Amino acid sequence: MTLTMENSVGAPAAQAAPRNDLKFACRGVNVHYGDAHAIKDLAIDIEDRLVTAFIGPSGCGKSTFLRCLNRMNDTIAICRVTGDLKLDGEDIYAPRVDPVQLRARVGMVFQKPNPFPKSIYDNVAYGPRIHGLTSNREELDELVEASLTKAGLWNEVKDRLDKPGTGLSGGQQQRLCIARAIATKPEVLLMDEPCSALDPIATDRIEQLIGELRSQFCIVIVTHSMQQAARVSQKTAFFHLGHLVEYGDTTDIFNKPRDKRTEDYINGRFG
Amino acid sequence: MIGTDGDIRKLSNAIAEMGGVAEANLSRALDALAKRDAALAAEVIQDDKRLDRMEKQVDELAVRILMMRQPMARDLRAVIAGLKIASTLERVGDMAKNTAKRAQILAEGPAHRSIGPVVRMGRQSLQQLTQALDAYANGDLELAQQVWRRDVEVDELYNSVFRELLTYMMEDPRTIGACAQLMFVAKNIERIGDHATFIAEMTNYVVSAEAPPPADDRPKAPLEAGFDELEESAASEGAASGGAKIE
Repeated sequence: MTLTMENSVGAPAAQAAPRNDLKFACRGVNVHYGDAHAIKDLAIDIEDRLVTAFIGPSGCGKSTFLRCLNRMNDTIAICRVTGDLKLDGEDIYAPRVDPVQLRARVGMVFQKPNPFPKSIYDNVAYGPRIHGLTSNREELDELVEASLTKAGLWNEVKDRLDKPGTGLSGGQQQRLCIARAIATKPEVLLMDEPCSALDPIATDRIEQLIGELRSQFCIVIVTHSMQQAARVSQKTAFFHLGHLVEYGDTTDIFNKPRDKRTEDYINGRFG
Repeated sequence: MIGTDGDIRKLSNAIAEMGGVAEANLSRALDALAKRDAALAAEVIQDDKRLDRMEKQVDELAVRILMMRQPMARDLRAVIAGLKIASTLERVGDMAKNTAKRAQILAEGPAHRSIGPVVRMGRQSLQQLTQALDAYANGDLELAQQVWRRDVEVDELYNSVFRELLTYMMEDPRTIGACAQLMFVAKNIERIGDHATFIAEMTNYVVSAEAPPPADDRPKAPLEAGFDELEESAASEGAASGGAKIE
């Protein structure tokens, strides 16, 4: 395996032995949108049962790379992904992999809460239904309750499960989307700026939730808030112009980054 | 300059200004001591209020930066170090003031042979302080290292001044009053040397992200045998009541 200078900084080889099992092992990943080279020869290992934050200026490729992890980029016609992306040692871009099945294992929560225009119950039950995770109504009820409980929303909605999900507050909608994402019993949760449309109280609620879910999932979060990354993550990756500039323990990245670009970015000097 | 850079610059300028006042006050306190000039000593005492005000301004600026900029990494360390250095300089100012007060008392009595060595020791501490502040202002690690290593020299001077003063007191009990004043002045000066060392450590912390070493790791001149206990009790006296009584 040859790494460019860019990547050797954050390459797993330069890291201490991982504390947890690896969830994703990515090598030589390149992403093109037509002629634009969005991700350049990226190598990263993502550990299970902790929170990894992706930070970097807009357009640096962090969201693009996040979307590679559950093949959300497949839906963009001009997007081309090459390289090795392995989930538990399996190539997720292999022809036999069904992207729909993959996305059940690798759930996603978006920046703007996007509940389906259905009832609260049906929002959460949607995934389990299409994946046939339960065999009867009772099991489905249980799964819906368990998912809403894990997402910290159950007590607030248990009396109005048949009301539309869109009638909830922004923070509640986001937690509903998290409940929906974890209802399919995924192994990984991808979060693309999950709090940027929320007020500080709802943000705090989601951050607490991330802390709780961390013991059961591999969580990858894209955020523009350095303080949020410092608060919720154990590992941080800094992206710039399609390169992974620096990757390491969150405390190191925010206390003594090795790269000048990281230092400048986390203090808001460019981007 | 605006933004985080501008704010951090403002903070280090404020510290540089504070450092300048602390240096000037120490220098004038030493002059007042050497020339037995009570009027100059009074000026120093008056001027210390300025340092107190400046420390407050640095505190407010640092809180504002933390609140508005939420700095990370080196910027964060610069703010933390700025706060600590400002309070260190405020204490240096207090020690200069205390020295000036003792200079006033000493000016009333006859000249004493030990004033010279104490003032020389003071100049050495002042130089340490100046270089520590220069190292901080320029992020100069090498100079900071030099200051850190050289504190031993002030400690050694202190030990020899201490011994000298003891000898004078034993020889002629009439000098005890003046010698006791000088002993506290020497202790103040020795502490200022430690503060310069601390500023050097903070410079290293800002630049290299290394936490300051435990105080025990600092280079130290060994106390002379038999003087340990005396020195220790004089030191605690100096901290507990020596300074307070004369305030």
